[in-house]
Amino acid sequence: MNVSLSARNIVKHYGGVVALSDGNLDVKSGEVLALIGANGSGKSTLSKVINGVVVLDGGQLLLNEKIVHFSSPQAAKDLGISIVFQELSLIPQMTVAENIWLAREPIITAGVIDKKLVDMKTMELISLFDGTYHTDLRPNTPVSDLPPDERQIVEILKAISFDPEVLILDEATASLDSRQVRRLFELVKQWKEAGKAIIFVSHRMEEIFQIGDRYTVLRNGKTVGSGDIQDINENDLVKLMIAEDSLLTFIRKEKNDRENQQPIFLEINHLRANNLKEISFNVKRGELLGIGGLQGQGQRDLLLSIFGDIPFKGDIKLNGEMVKFRHPRQAMKKGVALVPGDRAKEGLLYIRSILENLILPSWKKYGFPLNIKKSITDAEQIARNLKLIMAGLQEPVSSLSGGNAQKVVIGKWLLQSPQLLLLDDPTKGVDVGTKGEFYTLLSNLCDEGKTILFYSSDDEELLGLCDRIIVLHDGKLHIELSGDNLNKESLIRASLGGTHIGGV
Amino acid sequence: MIKRISWNLLITRYPAFFSTILLIVVLIVNAIVQPNIFKLDTLNGNMRIFLPLILLAVGQTFVMICGGIDISVGGIVSIINTILATQVGLNGSIEQMWKFVLISLLAGMLAGAINGFFIAILRLQPIITTYATGFIYAGFALFLLPNPGGGIPRVAADIYRTTTPLGLPLAFFVIIVVLLIWWYLRSTRYGRFLYAVGGNKESAYQSAVPVTWVILSTYVISGLMAAFAGIAITLLSGSGNAEIGNTMTLSSITAVVIGGTAFSGGIGGVAGPILGSITLGLIQNVISFAQINTWWETLVKALIIVVALAAPGVINLFGRRK
Repeated sequence: MNVSLSARNIVKHYGGVVALSDGNLDVKSGEVLALIGANGSGKSTLSKVINGVVVLDGGQLLLNEKIVHFSSPQAAKDLGISIVFQELSLIPQMTVAENIWLAREPIITAGVIDKKLVDMKTMELISLFDGTYHTDLRPNTPVSDLPPDERQIVEILKAISFDPEVLILDEATASLDSRQVRRLFELVKQWKEAGKAIIFVSHRMEEIFQIGDRYTVLRNGKTVGSGDIQDINENDLVKLMIAEDSLLTFIRKEKNDRENQQPIFLEINHLRANNLKEISFNVKRGELLGIGGLQGQGQRDLLLSIFGDIPFKGDIKLNGEMVKFRHPRQAMKKGVALVPGDRAKEGLLYIRSILENLILPSWKKYGFPLNIKKSITDAEQIARNLKLIMAGLQEPVSSLSGGNAQKVVIGKWLLQSPQLLLLDDPTKGVDVGTKGEFYTLLSNLCDEGKTILFYSSDDEELLGLCDRIIVLHDGKLHIELSGDNLNKESLIRASLGGTHIGGV
Repeated sequence: MIKRISWNLLITRYPAFFSTILLIVVLIVNAIVQPNIFKLDTLNGNMRIFLPLILLAVGQTFVMICGGIDISVGGIVSIINTILATQVGLNGSIEQMWKFVLISLLAGMLAGAINGFFIAILRLQPIITTYATGFIYAGFALFLLPNPGGGIPRVAADIYRTTTPLGLPLAFFVIIVVLLIWWYLRSTRYGRFLYAVGGNKESAYQSAVPVTWVILSTYVISGLMAAFAGIAITLLSGSGNAEIGNTMTLSSITAVVIGGTAFSGGIGGVAGPILGSITLGLIQNVISFAQINTWWETLVKALIIVVALAAPGVINLFGRRK
């Protein structure tokens, strides 16, 4: 198998918005091309053009030096190009096997699908990720019953089931835990050796350096650089992505070194819920407490319990007062805010304006009839504080890039001036530039005396931002890391369930 | 949380669950007011009356699994009824009858294809489109036959009314054939495509499912099944009435909803709606035998839709409160 794929001067408009103005890339058998760029730089669009999901407006695609035109995903698949989508292409009501083989089911006779063969081939695929599943994944499990990481794995299995020559992984690691990522990388190496060409789209620097052979950087719809990974370092890559040298401090904001002398703000004792077993911990006022661990170890349930969104047992003391929220509304009244991880589903009204989204929980403040002028002033203030990049407050949220949309979610709660912020993996799929601003924002909020519980699937940012990290494992508070133990090795070891952390 | 999952499992894996329970309840009530219900003659009579709605509901199921809705089916039934009643006539020959049965089927598919063209190819809203075309079809039926009248030859009607192979009602065999075809379709790619498109159009498209053609096909099937229903109801009544299909649209949707097919698409099957249609027919029986005002019939149907839609939500609500 020897294959090469090139994109030359690709142009793609969505209405008046230019998603790609000059997209270029080259990839060939036996190599991993890391496709890098900030959110909204056109990575996903370029992947979709290569896969035939969107039709290009200009430029050329060359497969093995010959010009090809893809009018549909089918056309691309016929030529051996397969993609793992960032927004999953799975149908929740259907089973794992049905999803993987959709439109390519093996037929016995008269159009009848060979179910046994389908199940067998599905089991083979599932076994590729053996040992990294949290649930009993079977071919006939409905996809709607699976947690996000396993849906992502099914999506990967679906793409590889084509036995493609070119495989595109578009943010495929975003919802995987570290064990699953490691397994994926092992597989990627095997596929590479088998002669596949792989395009790896990711935000995570460490992954790019770990798996990439070559890189191509996109900025504002243009390819601005490419070359061998070993000839470049992280700083230079980031510089290419964001073009401004001033944003170099993207990952670390100086940590608050002074001892936190504040009183305890949140006290949790023996919290139990569906996926949680006996969790107890304290958080001081103005503290940024990280919650770490593999995905799906109960971190989300912990935040939701505190927010009153799911039933739980145990004691929660907020500012010295015993509380038991039965509904998020009660939690909001006491100054608790939750920033959900899935901003598309839980945090935003995409077709409504930025203004409406920002003011939505706070309309009460603006009386009857509504004092629109004041709401606009407040929203403008918040937008400025957050450095929101937008065409105007009246534009719909759907016009914003992922990072900016996430800022709107946070902004809408900041208008409520909450005392306790619960963050559920807020930087997932957010580009580095926005992440940097986001970290500054969090530090400032803590300095203002707000307390933050911060769950993240990104170990780097937990370590860079938090003074203390609690690691959950299997619904239990496994260990608390602080001071000298606050390093990557301990965090990863603790995430995997290890107990021998130096000095503890 | 646990309750929600098990409810999901129940409705995705066993879509006919709700309709079976409802059917049993209604059967018991029916047996009380009409003790001879299980006699073969009564059964034959009942099934004959239920069959048009069963056929209509089966067509509606295809559309609804795919995430659409077809509220023009009543109009199509009326057209077929008026075509047969005006073109064949009470004194027509049996050959004439067969010829127009064939034409009816083509007319039904054409009406469905018109719906499908607007919805699948021009991408209009199904509910608005079929609401509009439904009026056109109903109007066309009135144009063909402004006043009730006309009819079909008695011989043809008798075939439907009195044929009982192996002593069982003819409708029974029709249902079995429909089920067999459905089970066959469900194990083909086409069956998977139906569920895939109903589940998530975008994802289905990205997985190389021919979404446009699948949607178009469901409306053609719905039109065809409406034509079969129109033929059956004409054989049953023996005469023509341009308003005969009017009330059948709501009934067909009710039957599908009782049968566990979600309005949102991607879930369901044909067995449920068949049971649902029978349930609706039995409810009608109960109402006429218990001498309740027929006004109640519509109320009961509407209530069933509301309850069927609300049930999962109510169950989740209790799950949450726990």
